[in-house]
Amino acid sequence: MNNYYCVMTFHSTYHALNFEKILKEFNYEVRLMPVPRQVSSSCGTAAEFQCEKKADILKICLDNHIEMDDIHRIENQKKNNWFVKLLNDKG
Amino acid sequence: MNTDKGKIIATGGIIGLFGALLVKFGNPVNMGVCVACFFRDIAGGLGLHRASVVQYLRPEISGFILGAFGMAKVKGEFKPRGGSSPLLRFILGFFLMIGALVFLGCPLRMILRLANGDLNAITGIIGYTAGIWVGIQFLKRGFTLGKSTTNSTAAGYTMPIFAVAILLLLVAAPTFIFFSESGPGSMAAPVTLALGAGLLIGALLQRTRLCTAGGFRDAMLIKDYHYMIGLIGIFVFALLGNVIFNFETFKIGFEGQPIAHNDHLWNFLGMSLAGITAVLLGGCPLRQTILAGEGDGDATITIIGLMAGAAFAHNFGLAASPAGVTTNGKVAVIIGIIVALAIGLSVIASVAKEKAARLKKREGGVEVGI
Repeated sequence: MNNYYCVMTFHSTYHALNFEKILKEFNYEVRLMPVPRQVSSSCGTAAEFQCEKKADILKICLDNHIEMDDIHRIENQKKNNWFVKLLNDKG
Repeated sequence: MNTDKGKIIATGGIIGLFGALLVKFGNPVNMGVCVACFFRDIAGGLGLHRASVVQYLRPEISGFILGAFGMAKVKGEFKPRGGSSPLLRFILGFFLMIGALVFLGCPLRMILRLANGDLNAITGIIGYTAGIWVGIQFLKRGFTLGKSTTNSTAAGYTMPIFAVAILLLLVAAPTFIFFSESGPGSMAAPVTLALGAGLLIGALLQRTRLCTAGGFRDAMLIKDYHYMIGLIGIFVFALLGNVIFNFETFKIGFEGQPIAHNDHLWNFLGMSLAGITAVLLGGCPLRQTILAGEGDGDATITIIGLMAGAAFAHNFGLAASPAGVTTNGKVAVIIGIIVALAIGLSVIASVAKEKAARLKKREGGVEVGI
């Protein structure tokens, strides 16, 4: 498994749902999720996809008039803050 | 992924435990933490309404705001922003409060009520879920309040400064501030404990972004259960806390529950209104409070709407009481549902119109190019 993934953010939930629907029609793996905190602290929906497919996906979006906000690459950091340490010690 | 789950459950757990502990130390029963009730009390304390039993400057609220503010500052997430349909947010916030005060509690208190055996909360949860489902139908059809833009620093500091002002007024207690001598407003945990709990909860919620509306919305809309797990954490730990600390008030049933009524239809409709408005706003009152602490001017406007709603709710006799729901309250809930639906439909129509205009312009642009 990669230790990074890409997310697309949108201006509205409607665009996110549209993105998911159309990309699934093209057989791409897409998963909707709450916007990761690294990206923004606002309440909203983002879509996760494989970074390798970025260029193809962007083309599909442009062809199908899907409105996007931004693409972010999220690294799965090795988490070692005090809170997680505390949980791990207990668990 | 598991650490994420652990964090959200722990956050919910801490909120649930403090919900029970603050009752143990003096807050009204099932009101250890209630965002709608506390803003209503603050509106009363400031004299915006004169219901003498619900007037107090709740330090928990200042804690939520300043906790979120401090954490956002430390983590570089304090961002003054705003300009996303402020007027519509004010109106939605106003009616969210009306719905909550007819049910007698915000969605968070709904969970805490259930955790103390108040089965009326189940009717509320069904109503809240129905309202969120309706809100989702609007989201699916293009509803958005629009993108916010960066604001001046002064705008971002509005809510944190309000929070400090509330604390100063609480401590100084000038004669123009109202403090209830009886009723729920007279029952309060010690200021330091309430403020400390608020600060901790505010900081944790800033990190985890737990939101009651988000929990139900994501579970239904995108089958993501991250926040829902946190809400279950609140319920489980509040239940444990109540059994351990408040066993004398723990009672399972519909009848005679503290600061509640068992008019099922209006419990359902009150929370339906709260659900629709919370989804359209993008977050429940708790989440709005945290966002306001992070410098979000749109959340600040929503909170001003909540307080205005609370003031009107008591001035016009809209708020329910353990005696039941008033006729005025019923009319206000119906008006609120109609207004929320009208706002939803109107925004969808505007968005569709804008999109059509944009596409037309794009096609027109090609012609000009030729």
